[in-house]
Amino acid sequence: MLISIRDLQRVYEVGTEQVHALNGVSLDIAANEYLAIMGPSGSGKSTLMNILGCLDTPTGGSYRFKDREIAALPDDELARIRNREIGFVFQTFNLLPRADALHNVELPLVYAGCRHEERRRRAREALELVGLGDRMKHRPNELSGGQRQRVAIARALVNKPSIILADEPTGNLDTATGEEIMTAFGRIWEQGNTVILVTHEADIAAHAHRVVRMRDGHIESDLRGAGRTGAAAPAGA
Amino acid sequence: MNLRESMGIALAALRANKLRSFLTLLGTIIGVGAVIFVLSVVEGLNRYVEDKMLGVGSNVLWVDKYGMITTQEEFIEADKRPDITLADVEALAAGVPHAAVVVAAGDTYAHLRYRDKVARSIRLGGRGPGYEVVEDLTIDQGRHLTDVDDRRRRPVCVLGPEAAAEIFPGIDPVGRQVRLGEQTSEVVGVTKPKGKMFGQSQDRFATVPIRTFQKYWTSRFSYYAFLKSVDQAAMPLAEQEARNVLRARRHLTPGRPDNFGITLPDTFMDLYRKITGGVFALTIGVAAIALLVGGIVIMNIMLVSVTERTREIGVRKALGARRHDILMQFLAEAATLSLTGGLVGVTVGVLLALLASGLAHLPAAVSVPSLFLGVGMSCLVGVFFGAYPAWRASRLDPIEALRYE
Repeated sequence: MLISIRDLQRVYEVGTEQVHALNGVSLDIAANEYLAIMGPSGSGKSTLMNILGCLDTPTGGSYRFKDREIAALPDDELARIRNREIGFVFQTFNLLPRADALHNVELPLVYAGCRHEERRRRAREALELVGLGDRMKHRPNELSGGQRQRVAIARALVNKPSIILADEPTGNLDTATGEEIMTAFGRIWEQGNTVILVTHEADIAAHAHRVVRMRDGHIESDLRGAGRTGAAAPAGA
Repeated sequence: MNLRESMGIALAALRANKLRSFLTLLGTIIGVGAVIFVLSVVEGLNRYVEDKMLGVGSNVLWVDKYGMITTQEEFIEADKRPDITLADVEALAAGVPHAAVVVAAGDTYAHLRYRDKVARSIRLGGRGPGYEVVEDLTIDQGRHLTDVDDRRRRPVCVLGPEAAAEIFPGIDPVGRQVRLGEQTSEVVGVTKPKGKMFGQSQDRFATVPIRTFQKYWTSRFSYYAFLKSVDQAAMPLAEQEARNVLRARRHLTPGRPDNFGITLPDTFMDLYRKITGGVFALTIGVAAIALLVGGIVIMNIMLVSVTERTREIGVRKALGARRHDILMQFLAEAATLSLTGGLVGVTVGVLLALLASGLAHLPAAVSVPSLFLGVGMSCLVGVFFGAYPAWRASRLDPIEALRYE
């Protein structure tokens, strides 16, 4: 198992009150799965994604990533995992506004300690892969929304991570561009990557092969084949 | 995180807000500029004084009645000491083996006249042979005074170029008879100019042989002696020998203080440095305050920058930046910022120093170590005052930072 979660808890202290954002979540994700996490706002899907992405640590339970317990790791080790193992794609793209596309894509490699020439080369390859070979020197504000998100995808892919974690990747795009981006994710999955989408849109989740629905901090349903095949089957079946 | 990128970001931000950058860096610019300026002027004065101090040549010390006097009380005490006689000077010449040249000297002031022209109150000096060496004088026209002039007590003199110019406008002075006070004297030579020291001309003098001086200008008078040691290393030896000679002649028992003064150029320089040191300390104080204020402004602007770029910090962390990476990035930016201020400050300081030497005739000398000091100092200010904002940036929670609007 690539990811193995058991009885995951995440409690926030809001004033004197305790909020259980995650309340006993258990989930296994294998390599090369294409999975969507769905749920209304407040369901805990963002918290789950943050923990999966090693941006946050659980307050209880176990999160094993490649057979390593993540919950107890120090900050710098989490940063290393984010850098090597996880590629983020955000709803708002989160590109550095002052840097050109090439430089944005290079960033993960900078933190990986990659040498300058190799960084350049790999960032170029990643941008060509998402069809932006001719936009390398453009800054984010000189690119369309779809192009920006493709730069972000190139950035997520450039360090060859184990999973691509996309948080509402089409939320800021029109339907046509959104489809284009989802096609890109499909291709990424076909090439052997593990893709995890977080979304509240059913037609986006429909691209995935497995849909995990969340409500009030726990998993409500976990269906395989919920996406393209159309035939719903319980996970593990 | 590489340094070049951080510096690039900082420089781009500087360029984007030129006025804000200038105001941010004003404190640093003033602080560094002031330090460079004062260091240059003090350094310039030091060199100037070392070059010209009392117009003596190198490795020269002098023995007189008073020594180094800085207060009136000291003068009253020293005035009671026995005079230095020409016999004392002869004893020094005989008893100081580490002195290459010993020159007897006496000074007074006199009016210098040629026909209806008068140069009032010029320095009239009696000098023994070898004076041109210890006083570092070169002849321009005619000749120097000689041993024979001295032995025969000839009424001859050598004039400084300014004294000569005052009474001989457009006339060749050599061979002409002038009046020095009450006495008639023949001009045998004119020296080359030595220039001014602190606005005081060093070329307004008449020098006569010491025995001529003794015969015509003074009956009872305290002389003094120039001693030129054989080399730099022999200076302390020559000083000690001279002290021994005079103490023996005056029967001073051990434990009693010298009743004469021995002055080395160092002695003057020490006093001089004490004075400039005060000025220096004051300016360093002012510069320190300017740098402190400058540093606080930099800290403020860095805190603003951290807040403005919270989201960027979140993105960087999500992409794998460790705390250390973020810390270094913002430290490098703060250092780049203040370094820019430092470089501008150095430029301003150097320009001011050049301006001062050009307009105010202050001899400013820009020394390379002071430039490094200025740049290093500004860098240090940036790192010191950038530390807190950088630390804040590095501690940001990635989720909060990513969510920041």
